[in-house]
Amino acid sequence: MLLTPNAMGPRLRIGLYLTTGLIALFLLLPIVFIVLLSFGSSQWLVFPPPGWTLKWYEQFFANPEWMASVLTSLKVAVLTTLCAVALGLPTAFALVRGRFPGRELLYALFTLPMIVPLVIIAVAVYALFLKLGYTGTLFSFVVSHVIVALPFTIISIINSLKLFDQSIEDAAVICGASRMQAVYKVTFPAIRPGMVAGALFAFLVSWDEVVLSVMMASPTLQTLPVKMWTTLRQDLTPVIAVASTLLIGLSVLIMVIAAALRRRNEVSA
Amino acid sequence: MSAVIKESAQADQPLVSLRNLNKYYGDFAAVDNISLDIKEGEFLTFLGSSGSGKSTTLSMLAGFETPTSGEIQVEGKSLIKVPPHKRDIGMVFQRYSLFPHLSVRDNIAFPLTLRKLQTAERERQVDAMLKLVQLDDFAHRRPAQLSGGQQQRVAIARALVYEPRILLMDEPLGALDKKLREELQDELRHLHRRLGITIVYVTHDQEEAMRLSQRIAIFSHGKIVGLGSGYDLYQNPPNAFVAAFLGNSNFLRVKAQGDAAAQFESQSLAMRPTAGLQAAQDLLLMVRPEKAQALTSQQAMQEPLAAGWNEIGATVNEVVFLGESLTYNVVTAGGTSLTVKALSGNLLPLQAGAEVRVRWAAADACVYSEWSESDLSKTAGAH
Repeated sequence: MLLTPNAMGPRLRIGLYLTTGLIALFLLLPIVFIVLLSFGSSQWLVFPPPGWTLKWYEQFFANPEWMASVLTSLKVAVLTTLCAVALGLPTAFALVRGRFPGRELLYALFTLPMIVPLVIIAVAVYALFLKLGYTGTLFSFVVSHVIVALPFTIISIINSLKLFDQSIEDAAVICGASRMQAVYKVTFPAIRPGMVAGALFAFLVSWDEVVLSVMMASPTLQTLPVKMWTTLRQDLTPVIAVASTLLIGLSVLIMVIAAALRRRNEVSA
Repeated sequence: MSAVIKESAQADQPLVSLRNLNKYYGDFAAVDNISLDIKEGEFLTFLGSSGSGKSTTLSMLAGFETPTSGEIQVEGKSLIKVPPHKRDIGMVFQRYSLFPHLSVRDNIAFPLTLRKLQTAERERQVDAMLKLVQLDDFAHRRPAQLSGGQQQRVAIARALVYEPRILLMDEPLGALDKKLREELQDELRHLHRRLGITIVYVTHDQEEAMRLSQRIAIFSHGKIVGLGSGYDLYQNPPNAFVAAFLGNSNFLRVKAQGDAAAQFESQSLAMRPTAGLQAAQDLLLMVRPEKAQALTSQQAMQEPLAAGWNEIGATVNEVVFLGESLTYNVVTAGGTSLTVKALSGNLLPLQAGAEVRVRWAAADACVYSEWSESDLSKTAGAH
């Protein structure tokens, strides 16, 4: 209670606002810079921009390589999302409802990819796919992305499943629904917010993943972050800023959707 | 108890029969060899503390738990292999368990939709149910927009709409406050009378059990230790456990002197004639507090002791005024603590420390020759 803004006195309060503001600025400034630079007229990324233009956007959208990478990114992200939810849903049910030895261990195993350094997973998957000859395929992108997206999806679904009162499902069963019918008609609608959040997380993880993708990519099949990475190594063009802006834009959009869904759910619950 | 079961089984075929039902979790017997007949149209309550096996028995009846051994039959047909969704049983849960994403109307229509009823017929039945539970005006609300009592009414309507033979209720009013609970108890009793449906009700609240049921089965340690009407179980508890569990009770430790008298703290008491007693056998007399009277020595001298009554001397330890009634806690010379309850109407309360004479009719005291010490404490019954 001592640390409510009103109780701490004006000096401390202003100090607090100031530090909070500085931290927010520190976090936001790079993003603001990159967005502004994508509209700047200087080819050398001069800041502040001498003038404003949309020509970098024109270049970006006119370039088939950039467009192909955006399309690949979207494809990979959508497929990763579908796979993560399809695998995460039964996994979450087993981990929450199951009564079997080694359940805790299995949970730890499924969440391991969140702790293991990404580069280790990347090297391992790369080595495997190199041997199998799958590198540079959509399949390799999706599989590697699912590995890192799955923990987020599983945790998100587990959380909503734990909050769900199983006697509601039992009520559906005693009303005449088979267990599967009850899960489809009652449990899924009730845990939908968790499923949607899990799906959005999976999409985001895939959408801005770069470490695994660099390993999986071929010159002809690249996701947007990989294309940015390879382009950046050759020359510094404002088109990179455009790609960054679009990357951030979609991420922000998804976060907003997730927040809106959460709020709607809180209101109706 | 077994005589009662046999009699009713011969008189009319029971609707539900539980035969030697067991449920083990490892070595632990949650339900220990229960046999019970449930008659068509009766309101039967499973009463017991938590962990006494009452909810597990209900769960096996619903089909959510599989018995380790034993048989459950409805009209002579085994239910053991029938999955819960095909048992045609209705159930109301403790936390209402309504479908949160469906409106009140759709919640009630849910069982009918599963049964693929025609829309018009479904709507008609749902309307009738909404009317029955007086929720016509709330049909389009979501469960979260209803009060606890309204939610429980929806749950009851949802359980009744497909006209199951048996309605199971697992502490359905446990989450409601006292006043609302009593209101719904009355509603439920009327509903039962009107519909004639068989109800099996689980509660740990003995007042609720008394208020609602025609018969009560008292559970303790996975067994049924008392079965009968609330009146019989209270007036003539079959054993010391039921006596201690239901209401309040005074226990006097006595030694048999013949078959109709006993010695209590160096004085002789009359008791109900009891067959098969050995000389000086340890017995337990049970007197309900309201069946005993406390008189001052003066009053005792003015009113001679009626035939068949007992009188013992005691000292008042504490007097508690409860509005309509008054309870005295008194202690005998031998240190036995007794409670005497009287209507407060025209009595002058006795003071603590006063000498009193405690009287009761020998016919009102139950006699037990077998008991375990743990039976005598209120908290017994749970594992």
